[in-house]
Amino acid sequence: MNGSASAGGTSPMSPIEATWTRFWFEPADPRPLALIRMATALLALVLLSSYSADLDTWFGPAGMIPADPAAAWRSPWGWSLFDLAGSSGSLRLLFIITAVVLMLLGVGLATPVVSLAAPIFWASLLHRGPMLAGPADDCVAVLLWCLAIAPSGAAWSLDRWFRGGPSPSPSIRSRIALGLIQVHAAAISLTSLLAQLKGDVWWDGTAAWWLAARADSRVVDLTGLFARSEYLCNLVTHGITLFEAVFAIGIWFTATQTTVARIGLVAWPLIGLLAGEPWWGVAMAIMCAGNAHAPSPDAR
Amino acid sequence: MPPPTRPPDAAHAAASGVSDRLRAAVTVALGVYLIGLVLALLGNGSSGASALVRTIKSRLYAPWLVPAWLDLGHDHHLTYGMPEDADHTLEVRATGDHKATPLRLPGRLTGERAARWRRLAAALAREGDDQAVALAAAVAAGSFDDLGSEDVMLRVLRRQLPDRRALPLPTGSSVVTSARVRRVGGELQLIKADPPGEVAPLVSPATQQPAADEATR
Repeated sequence: MNGSASAGGTSPMSPIEATWTRFWFEPADPRPLALIRMATALLALVLLSSYSADLDTWFGPAGMIPADPAAAWRSPWGWSLFDLAGSSGSLRLLFIITAVVLMLLGVGLATPVVSLAAPIFWASLLHRGPMLAGPADDCVAVLLWCLAIAPSGAAWSLDRWFRGGPSPSPSIRSRIALGLIQVHAAAISLTSLLAQLKGDVWWDGTAAWWLAARADSRVVDLTGLFARSEYLCNLVTHGITLFEAVFAIGIWFTATQTTVARIGLVAWPLIGLLAGEPWWGVAMAIMCAGNAHAPSPDAR
Repeated sequence: MPPPTRPPDAAHAAASGVSDRLRAAVTVALGVYLIGLVLALLGNGSSGASALVRTIKSRLYAPWLVPAWLDLGHDHHLTYGMPEDADHTLEVRATGDHKATPLRLPGRLTGERAARWRRLAAALAREGDDQAVALAAAVAAGSFDDLGSEDVMLRVLRRQLPDRRALPLPTGSSVVTSARVRRVGGELQLIKADPPGEVAPLVSPATQQPAADEATR
């Protein structure tokens, strides 16, 4: 057995244990995480802005989604700070606090506090109207929780600018956060693929047409192209499933993960555009950011 | 996970900044979370979940995964080409007042704001779901002030998904949910109407524009 002495020099380390230790505990550069922090906060603000104009119409005292029907819609364990808002004013105040928290996260000010507050407010907002939430909201929730456990303000932040000092050093918390984001990105890709493969349209190559045929939600109109060429429609459909399979597997291997992640930076937004969920595509691209940079020679 | 490309002692040295005890504690926490992630993926899929998975998830993981909005299936099938995958629209009008402009959402709204209205409309169209019925009543009641009436008709329209060979592409909709909602003596009543099921008259983009103009709020 290829083992080695532990720190105390008593117990051997198996290859599996070594792989686990390296993946979760090898100190990582905090800069990719800082990039993910800024991009996630920006995306969250974009998604938050989509609530702004209808906030009172949906969640106000005489709104269309009162707290009781919303509570019935979610799991009994779900709760929302926004349930406490009994007036339009308090509702708007909570909304503004959420926006401010996300802005502070984006610029990296008081990061240890706001990185914990951001997912709490975000989850609260989604719980207030679960039927309004989309896949991009889900991904942002995952990203915000991953950022909450990491020193995401260690680089490229106002915190860092005020503190000064030497360049931020690699940390184990950064590694754990990046590892969790990688796990979730692969899991989302795999479960999406498995869900798609339950439908005939993903086998007969027509799924791309049915996505493009949704006249209201589509972002780009590709019906003309797909109507002219069945092969193109088939190619796009199979391309999506093939990419998801390659991403879910390739992200785990040293030889392929950087390439797969870089392809993901482009491919996920394109899939999002075709699916009429552009912000979901952007969220998935953000999840690739941690693996998209070339590892330093001593890091892998 | 990347295969071990370096000897195990190198990995150990890389993580030597943390004590064995702390590493063990974090490993346990990660293991617990990763099991929860797998259970969430298995338990929230569209195919349903086994009683075992549901029980373990609901007793051990739901109390902390649900509040954090992490109890997610992430099974984005994008489309199955089925009618349910089409775009949904919400329409509310005062009962009997066919001349008044109905409230139609998302109307000409775009982007994520419109997507949220479409998700709400799709949620109301869920068949045989008591929560959808209660939500429909609440949504209709929420429009009383805008329509100036406490007796309204709520409909959810589903856009037709055209076949690839059907050119020019049809732009009709069908009614999937229809209900009359009114407040009588301070009490909210919902009277479900059988959706006619017929496809609405085909509307060309040119004639559709004025209707869309009216729908903006």
